[in-house]
Amino acid sequence: MALALLVASAAWPTSAHAQAEPAEAASQPIAVVATTQMVADMLTVVGGPCAQVTTLMGPGIDPHLYRASAGDVDRLSRAELIGYNGFDLEGQLGAVLARLGQRIPTLALAERIAEGVQAARLLEGEDEYEGETDPHLWGAADVWALGTDVAAEVIGQLRPACAEAAAERARDYAAQLDALHDWALASAASVPPTKRTLVTSHDAFAYFGAAYGFDVAGIEGISTESEASIADIRETVELVLETGVPAIFVETTISPRTIEAVQAAVRDRGGDVTIGGELFGDAMGDAGTPEGTYVGMIRHNVGTVVRALGGEVAAWPDALAGWKERWELDRP
Amino acid sequence: MSAAVAALQGWLDQPGVTIVLIGALVGIAASLLGAFLVLRRESMLSDAISHSILLGIVMVYLLTGTLDSPLHVVGASLAGLGTVWLTDLLVRSRRVKHDAAIGLVFPALFAAAVLLINVYARDVHLDTDAVLLGEIAFAWLDVVRVFELDVARSLATMLAITLVNLAFVLLLFKELKLATFDPGLATALGLRPVLVGYGLLGLVSVTAVGAFDAVGAILFVAFVIVPPTAAYLLTDRLERMLAYGCLIAIGSSLGGYALARAFDVSIGGAMASATGVFLLLALLLGRHGLVARAWRRRAPEAPPHVGMPAASAPQLDAKTPTSSDGGRA
Repeated sequence: MALALLVASAAWPTSAHAQAEPAEAASQPIAVVATTQMVADMLTVVGGPCAQVTTLMGPGIDPHLYRASAGDVDRLSRAELIGYNGFDLEGQLGAVLARLGQRIPTLALAERIAEGVQAARLLEGEDEYEGETDPHLWGAADVWALGTDVAAEVIGQLRPACAEAAAERARDYAAQLDALHDWALASAASVPPTKRTLVTSHDAFAYFGAAYGFDVAGIEGISTESEASIADIRETVELVLETGVPAIFVETTISPRTIEAVQAAVRDRGGDVTIGGELFGDAMGDAGTPEGTYVGMIRHNVGTVVRALGGEVAAWPDALAGWKERWELDRP
Repeated sequence: MSAAVAALQGWLDQPGVTIVLIGALVGIAASLLGAFLVLRRESMLSDAISHSILLGIVMVYLLTGTLDSPLHVVGASLAGLGTVWLTDLLVRSRRVKHDAAIGLVFPALFAAAVLLINVYARDVHLDTDAVLLGEIAFAWLDVVRVFELDVARSLATMLAITLVNLAFVLLLFKELKLATFDPGLATALGLRPVLVGYGLLGLVSVTAVGAFDAVGAILFVAFVIVPPTAAYLLTDRLERMLAYGCLIAIGSSLGGYALARAFDVSIGGAMASATGVFLLLALLLGRHGLVARAWRRRAPEAPPHVGMPAASAPQLDAKTPTSSDGGRA
């Protein structure tokens, strides 16, 4: 054991250096740590060269089941700004980050966006959420677009020299997101009214549904701890049979078994439903792919849902031609 | 602020220092109690308690409607004690053995918690993670002011729990020892082994809740069971077993942190693995270890004893599981 202690103490000095060096040099990019990819996307785009963003919860990770690694400690301890979603998406970590705000600047992006949204757009109080705000605000692109100003403001406070450029990028990005929203609206409008039901694994699409006109039915509810009950599945099966919706959807962060169970049960009852594809619910796609950006994630989700439910995807907006070009150029 | 306080503060401000200290404190608090659980063959109660905690949290949520309440800690501790009480009740019926009783009680309580979420709170982000942080990597982010120092909340909590556990073990050492090894004699001497047992398991529950918040479930269970088990392989004296358990816990915290940094993996997972390394070393190199056993095969083996008079020796032979269950009251 003495040997092990010796080995451990030999490794010790490395941790002492993990302490944040206040790298306040105005020319250095801000060291930003973001919990989710959606928050990271916003701060990356608005921050531009002024921000060096790292993401804690990568593709396919349920924010709820995320486990930190030792490297995350370093990243957090060096961070000059910690961006997170808020509204309990990150569980108790969100509460800790909220208290941390006095020592390291933190930004609860979804909570700040919610302050600027008309109360009517905020989803709460329905039987889905009792008194708490649904954290999945990024589902509606026009709502998420309000985060551009918030991000620019925080970045401007940390690097006054960057304030103007960040505000500029924020305006551009907001315009792009509004164009994305209009594109999503136009695409969704092509889905026949009788087929506007979106059945997914869990309740991550309330904002998406409200913005683009879908009735959303998440099988599992919000907490992933209490898995889908038999009654949940039966209710969903009834809904599918009743509405005659042609497709249901799985999520990248959740096991597809419940959705597959619904499909099997529908077929047993003489109906038919296909699995319309994978949607990005609580996480985006891999970095370095189009779906690893917010725009690409919404494009994928809207496209998948609209096509599977019998609609037609609208023409890609000119405002986002640059985005499309960048990703298709990058593709082999 | 004096220079000493400033120096201490500078030291505590390093995440690594706070993380290792929290790990070591959880390890000491858990293995002090764990030694008795292992000797009483109740180690799996720690796992049972860590599952039942969810029921306590759900009940408090249903009563108060909030996830942000200190009452959750009380509720979780009570649920832990409830597990112990129900297990005891089943054992005293003499229809089921102790391990089976544990296995009957905690799944039932955990299932009740899941059903309650399903029925009353299916759309709230409700589980242990929502109330307890359970991630040692973030524990240093959450700071409270204690006297003149900014200390991680979990560090302060675990320090308090460790001191209480230490005081409990030191002050009631004789009672604990007798209640563990010879409950019959303890009763005859008026030492109330049942009460001592509840005190022990009550502290296990409180420690579980504190440790859950600081480091998460698996690391807590590992710290309760593995260091005392490894220590038991190194010595037959209870005092030394307690001390070795604490040292192994401290070593696991340090070694685990170094391991986690070296491979950029989960700190809690690495600390739990480190306890396993110590267990393996004890298994190979300890007094009753495989190497020693092979060595001693030439000479006749001395009967094992754990710091108690020979009268109770037959009950202590923990390596033959069938021999002592009948002796427990």
